[in-house]
Amino acid sequence: MFIDKSMTKDVVTVSPETPVLAAQTLMAQKNIRHLPVVVENDFLVGIVSDRDIRSAMPSTVLSETEKAAEEKRLTAIKVKDIMTRNPVTISPTQTLEDALIMMQNCKVGAFPVVDQVGKLKGMISVRDLMRAFVNVLGLEEPGALLGIVVEDKLGQMKIVVDAITEQRVSFGSILVARVWEEGKRAVFPYLLTNNPSKVKNRLRELGFTLLDPMEWYLDQLPKK
Amino acid sequence: MRRTGLLYDERFLLHKTGPGHPETPDRLIVLQRALEEAGLLPKLIPIPATPSKMKWIETVHAPKYIYRLEEACILDLGELDSADNQICPQTYETALLAVGGILNAIDMLMEGKIDNAFCAVRPPGHHAETNKALGFCYFNNVAIAARYLQVQWKVGRIGIVDFDVHHGNGTQHIFEEDSEVFYYSIHEHPSFAYPGTGREFEKGSGPGLGTTLNSTVLPGQGDEVYKEKIVQDLMPAFGEFKPEVILVSAGFDAHAEDDMSDTKLSTEGFSWMMQKVFQMAGQYSGGRIISVLEGGYSLAALPELITDHIRILLDLEHSD
Repeated sequence: MFIDKSMTKDVVTVSPETPVLAAQTLMAQKNIRHLPVVVENDFLVGIVSDRDIRSAMPSTVLSETEKAAEEKRLTAIKVKDIMTRNPVTISPTQTLEDALIMMQNCKVGAFPVVDQVGKLKGMISVRDLMRAFVNVLGLEEPGALLGIVVEDKLGQMKIVVDAITEQRVSFGSILVARVWEEGKRAVFPYLLTNNPSKVKNRLRELGFTLLDPMEWYLDQLPKK
Repeated sequence: MRRTGLLYDERFLLHKTGPGHPETPDRLIVLQRALEEAGLLPKLIPIPATPSKMKWIETVHAPKYIYRLEEACILDLGELDSADNQICPQTYETALLAVGGILNAIDMLMEGKIDNAFCAVRPPGHHAETNKALGFCYFNNVAIAARYLQVQWKVGRIGIVDFDVHHGNGTQHIFEEDSEVFYYSIHEHPSFAYPGTGREFEKGSGPGLGTTLNSTVLPGQGDEVYKEKIVQDLMPAFGEFKPEVILVSAGFDAHAEDDMSDTKLSTEGFSWMMQKVFQMAGQYSGGRIISVLEGGYSLAALPELITDHIRILLDLEHSD
């Protein structure tokens, strides 16, 4: 799960001297929200986001004369004037989990990926992570999800997996909701079958409780 | 009363899926018995089952896949692509017969010999992709029927209504770029049911953007939600599209008693829905409906569900 396997490698970059208006056009054309700013030999010096650019734009409530003056000012502004210097970066040998936690902590939508000497190698964004997790969840393969309550103790998963395998059903993925209720976990196997009812029957025979699908959740906000 | 055709052939029982498999020949045996007991058989016009020509199968499926299925049956490999798709040496011929019978129904419909038809076929079809067997399906019966209407009968606008509780991924994918085939499906929400496609934001692509429409129903929901979605989603869509022929992927597994799903549609709910399809066919399609059996696994519920379905096609309430 290393970053370099999931990052965008073909990165669109700008230089510190690029006019902000040109950077804005570039973002719109390429449908991207972050532009890494590099100097010679791809050394990263900053990052500029669509939000940085929007804040530099003139207010929409200006009068026509004010607007003309503002636009003149804008053509003179360069990326280096508004970019974030020393942005948070990530290395190609860090992992998707690192990126996920960092994004949650920094409230940032994308990180430049740089090597040890500071050269830009790629970008990893929320979009890349989502693609990876759509893949991990097996969402693009036909299947059906089950929800099972298990005791929070060793060996439960083996019983579940064995029971499903006995029915000759393959797995697309298995998710485990770590916290369910006191002493319980919830297991969500994604089964590659049109016929999950035989698996359900077998699990019930083994004494497992199947969750009402309307009660399923993977995460919910803490109770106040 | 309408001239309703019935496609049924004992050879549809020859596709055997092995012990414990829900898609069993018994589904058709109980249906046949129910039609007899209800006295409906004399009212129905028999449609012969003959093997489809390869060129029609190839309007949907890749020749390599067709060959792979044939070979797997000859070699008696037991399954194709997944343990869901049990096969026996007769599966290939049975699947060809099912398609060929449906094409015969279309010929009779377009020649004016029947007004509509129900095709009690096995194996079902709507999960089958161009190059893959999926969810008990090998040839996509309804998709081939739509292609046949386009190619052989030059029909310009075809509407498909798929009320099997599982989304018809195969049919949707085959027509997602085709603006002349409108695919509508109502099914259990894909986060809770096989095959995990048919989300409400899937609306077709390219030139076919807007001629795919999915309505989803949550576990535990039944008649009320089905009625709401048919009225809000399907009826305005077909009102605008005005299909010249309506094909129905008639799956009966959304029924409360069917343990393949968590939806709770009642027998009356199914009839209500089919009445609406029948009315739309009257308004837009000259009454032309070809309904093709997909899923539905409760041997207790199926006989009544399908006899009611056929009664609607016959329009018995308006006997003349």
